[in-house]
Amino acid sequence: MTADELSRADVLEKVREHLSSELEIPLGQISEETRLREDLDADSLDLYELVMELEDTYGISVSEEEAAGIETVADAVDFVAGRLGAAA
Amino acid sequence: MPVTVALDGRGAERGARAVIDGARAAAANGLRLRVFGDRELLAEIRELDGAELIPAAEEITNADEPVAAVRSRPEASVVQAAADVAEGRSEALVSAGSTGATMTAALFALRRMQGVRRPALALQLPVPGGGRPLLLLDVGANTEARAVDLVQFAYLGSAFSSAVLGVERPRVALLSVGEEQKKGSADVVEANARLADAGGIEFIGNLEGRDLMRREADVVVTDGFTGNVVLKTIEGTAKAVADAVRAAARSGARAAVGGTLLRPALGSLRRQLDPDSTGGAILLGLRGVAVVGHGSSGPDGIANAVRLAARAVEERAVDRTAELLERSGMTRGSMR
Repeated sequence: MTADELSRADVLEKVREHLSSELEIPLGQISEETRLREDLDADSLDLYELVMELEDTYGISVSEEEAAGIETVADAVDFVAGRLGAAA
Repeated sequence: MPVTVALDGRGAERGARAVIDGARAAAANGLRLRVFGDRELLAEIRELDGAELIPAAEEITNADEPVAAVRSRPEASVVQAAADVAEGRSEALVSAGSTGATMTAALFALRRMQGVRRPALALQLPVPGGGRPLLLLDVGANTEARAVDLVQFAYLGSAFSSAVLGVERPRVALLSVGEEQKKGSADVVEANARLADAGGIEFIGNLEGRDLMRREADVVVTDGFTGNVVLKTIEGTAKAVADAVRAAARSGARAAVGGTLLRPALGSLRRQLDPDSTGGAILLGLRGVAVVGHGSSGPDGIANAVRLAARAVEERAVDRTAELLERSGMTRGSMR
């Protein structure tokens, strides 16, 4: 997938849908400001699964250090969008 | 249609010979195998009916950090074998290599079952006197477990015991320091209260460690740290007692006569308690089947691990577990 085909909003929707499905939390309770650990009770395994989903979906690679820096939904979206140069 | 099992051919403590002979025994039962490992050492696999060798140049060992190794080494045998299951060429994963690497590769490739917070490693423990083994979980997947995890483990273990081991209404107990409902850590007490009010499984309350081998429960639930300590304690104690019996039987002429007379019975007991007889531990709570063989598995252990994995596929263990969790309202979202 290229930056031209992708907007930041697409990535945000993908992240929210993944978290909603995997953590069984209503989509409406997940926004950009949502903190993964504190607000969603996500643990390290949940975060790895999110990272792998993003890697598979967008064909990117996320290092251990980069993964550890993802604390909110916005962090995850910004990371992917930045890596792909997605349009705002 | 015979079940196809992806077998990691690297990392077995007893080497390629144990893998080849184990694969041969499993293939003789009509099972199909895709074996991932060293092209030269495992060359004999190619001669087996129903078995295929897929060269895998890399190995993940106990010395590697599992998460980093699995993520960075896609050519490793266990990673390839797990991917083979995820991509549908095989139906179950078996490895007698590094437990951490196998669990991680399985978890990443097969993913957790919808609604399961933490998968658990379940092991059948042979019980003296023969008959049905005891299912103990978790024996090491999670060093810590919350109350909701222990509750889910109870359902995972019950579903597996019923589907794969054929126990009609498995009696499920929580391992604790007393039988009373309020005995134990905060998580155990909370899990007991939740399970006592829940339906869908036969929860019988707490069980103390000294009663594990008394056939009072079919499934015993604990956190992975405690479960692993219990398992190793049982193994160590059994060996120490066996060594002491052997030493006593050699302590004098009269003892030697008694020892000789007892030898057939003791041999039979040793075979009953042999960890190879149950085929290793199964990782429950995934969207696929993954079995971790005992580290020192011989050919029988590897063959039995493959048979256990195949039985879990044939008996639809994954689907039946998901159905039980859903029906009983024990998915992650329902318990929040």
